[in-house]
Amino acid sequence: MSIVVLEHVTKEYRLGEHMVRALDDVSLSIESGVFLAIAGPSGSGKSTILNIIGCIDTPSSGKVHVAGHDVSGQNPDQLASLRARTIGFIFQTFNLLPVLTAAENVEYPLLQMEELDREDRKERVQEMLELVQLSKYAKHRPNQLSGGQRQRVAIARALVTKPDIVLADEPTANLDHKTGEGILALMREINRKLRTTFIFSTHDKKVIDAADRLIGVEDGTVRLLGVRKEGQWAITNVARKAPAAQAQGKP
Amino acid sequence: MSRLRERLQDWFDEWKKTARLDYWLALRSVTRQGRRSAIGLVAIAAGVVSMLLAAGFFEWNYNGQREATIRSRIGHIEVVRKGYMDAGAADPFGYLIPEHSPARKLIETFPQVDTLAPRLSFNGLISLGESTISFLGEGVDPDREKKLSGALTILQGQNLSSSDAKEVILGQGLAQTLGAKVGQNVVLLTNTKSRGIGAVEVRVAGIFSTVTKAYDDYALRLPLRTAQQLLKTDGVHMWLVLLHETSQTDSTLEKMREKVGDDSLQFVPWYDTAAADLYNKTVELFSRQVFVVKVMIAIIIILSITNTMTTAVRERTAEIGTCMALGDTRRTVMRRFLAEGVVMGLAGCIVGVIAGLILARVITAIGIPMPPPPGMAQGYIAGILVTPRLVFDAVVLSVVTAFIAGLYPAWKASRLEIVDALRHAR
Ligand SMILES: Nc1ncnc2c1ncn2[C@@H]1O[C@H](COP(=O)(O)OP(=O)(O)OP(=O)(O)O)[C@@H](O)[C@H]1O
Ligand SMILES: [Mg+2]
Repeated sequence: MSIVVLEHVTKEYRLGEHMVRALDDVSLSIESGVFLAIAGPSGSGKSTILNIIGCIDTPSSGKVHVAGHDVSGQNPDQLASLRARTIGFIFQTFNLLPVLTAAENVEYPLLQMEELDREDRKERVQEMLELVQLSKYAKHRPNQLSGGQRQRVAIARALVTKPDIVLADEPTANLDHKTGEGILALMREINRKLRTTFIFSTHDKKVIDAADRLIGVEDGTVRLLGVRKEGQWAITNVARKAPAAQAQGKP
Repeated sequence: MSRLRERLQDWFDEWKKTARLDYWLALRSVTRQGRRSAIGLVAIAAGVVSMLLAAGFFEWNYNGQREATIRSRIGHIEVVRKGYMDAGAADPFGYLIPEHSPARKLIETFPQVDTLAPRLSFNGLISLGESTISFLGEGVDPDREKKLSGALTILQGQNLSSSDAKEVILGQGLAQTLGAKVGQNVVLLTNTKSRGIGAVEVRVAGIFSTVTKAYDDYALRLPLRTAQQLLKTDGVHMWLVLLHETSQTDSTLEKMREKVGDDSLQFVPWYDTAAADLYNKTVELFSRQVFVVKVMIAIIIILSITNTMTTAVRERTAEIGTCMALGDTRRTVMRRFLAEGVVMGLAGCIVGVIAGLILARVITAIGIPMPPPPGMAQGYIAGILVTPRLVFDAVVLSVVTAFIAGLYPAWKASRLEIVDALRHAR
């Protein structure tokens, strides 16, 4: 079952006089429960893909389905509610709210869920902090935590709403190697345990090795798809596009 | 129109649901972002302090002038014959009321009433040696006037001694023009009730001044009995009623009219008398000045909150993007920022009120020496009177302006593009 489907998605930015094509006719289908890495060089369009899947950016053309919803015609409030309930975000820069404690940061996405009362929220926060092994730091504020701890708080925050998909844009890029591996292992464990779909971008080979699905992008197009079975990658190269279409991209 | 009502109702319902959370978060932001909030808070507090001090100074002045006018001359309520206010000056004998009557007895039993003093007003000429000038005279009951003349200052000599003594006290200006000294005898001439001329020789017992210089230039007072003999009447023109508290005036007036039920009598509150004119005009003038001060304070608050919040929105762009990515709607973002503005306005106001009250006390204890105001005889030491009403005004002013000042920055925050906002984190 596909949890995310992109059909002929194109994204263009206006940069002064000319248009920059960040994504060029991208079509993808992502299965539920995968641990998927989007890899590619800088500027290839990884973040743009994640933003569109995360419904915080809209494509210039093409169709997007997320968790069974056709996202295309939805207004900002509908998208906000979709994000609140089905998507969790992990950022490269952690993006915790500095005035709130670790526990309050984790609780934040639950505050808008009217069906949860105080007790329910506290219980879930507790559970999530345990999952990321930060129960002891519940009362600490972000500036009293290390980078790795902050990212673990961010993971707890992304998971607390029990989302279908967690999106992580270069989650380990601001962490040293060892801490990054720890974070990755934690995400992998959660992926296995809760069956939450993880989609993350990276250009780090070691991070790619932790994934079980791979999408390679280059110049705004998908160039290869990988599936790992029993430790072995099965790579499919996606054909270069017709010369006419390519002429519009980079030389 | 009804669509607008519906929308307002929707907003209000939403507000009821979300206010606690919004304000709790706003309080967090304001208290935990120490330095940034502090700058805004100090500006608001300073504005509130200046408003309280300026308005409190005016308040002290009109409060002082009001009490002085009431207690030195006019009392809280004048009881006169109907029509006296309009025509009494032309026909003084047409509007006499008895000195004693059941109505007076009834009024004196009111618990709010401190004293009732009968007065007889008249004018005439006063002579000393070669000079003769006109005067405005009042026959008073010296015993009863003691309380009512609290702000009448005897500059030389003594006050009137008894109800039938053959003596007079002169206003400072009148005494000067006449060249009269304490102990000298003067002659008073006036028309009598029977259209003849009455005359009496009285001794100058003392010289007085009140807060109103124009009054002191013409006024004299003599004992009621002596005045009645001069005018050949046994009536009076008014009973001046002094209450315990000025604030009781309106309620007591109401009850008196109802209970006394005498249609030939008119009950005039102090603020409707000619003598209160100057006070009323002063209040109006000062109120306008206070209004200007309030406008200036509102501008200070708007500028400082707009500035603080615009900075906050800019510095917290990534945070706003994060919250929206996590599912906050634009409206939520807007509400949260508006709440921050209001919390800041309120916090600054609380600090300002506390500082203002302390400063007001200190300044009042030290005293502000004031020159004699126009139309008044003496300078005085002023203070600052911060009334509950002023504090209320300050709170409303700062909260409302804080809300208004927050509108634009909050709206801008809510319109940020999430992706662009998130990029600010780098
Ligand atoms: N707001 C924008 N305005 C103009 N161009 C943009 C904007 N956002 C992205 N781009 C362009 O779109 C292309 C893809 O950007 P994107 O951020 O998706 O790349 P990326 O693969 O995430 O790169 P990196 O590894 O450096 O994060 C780049 O050429 C970038 O310059
Ligand atoms: Mg990127």
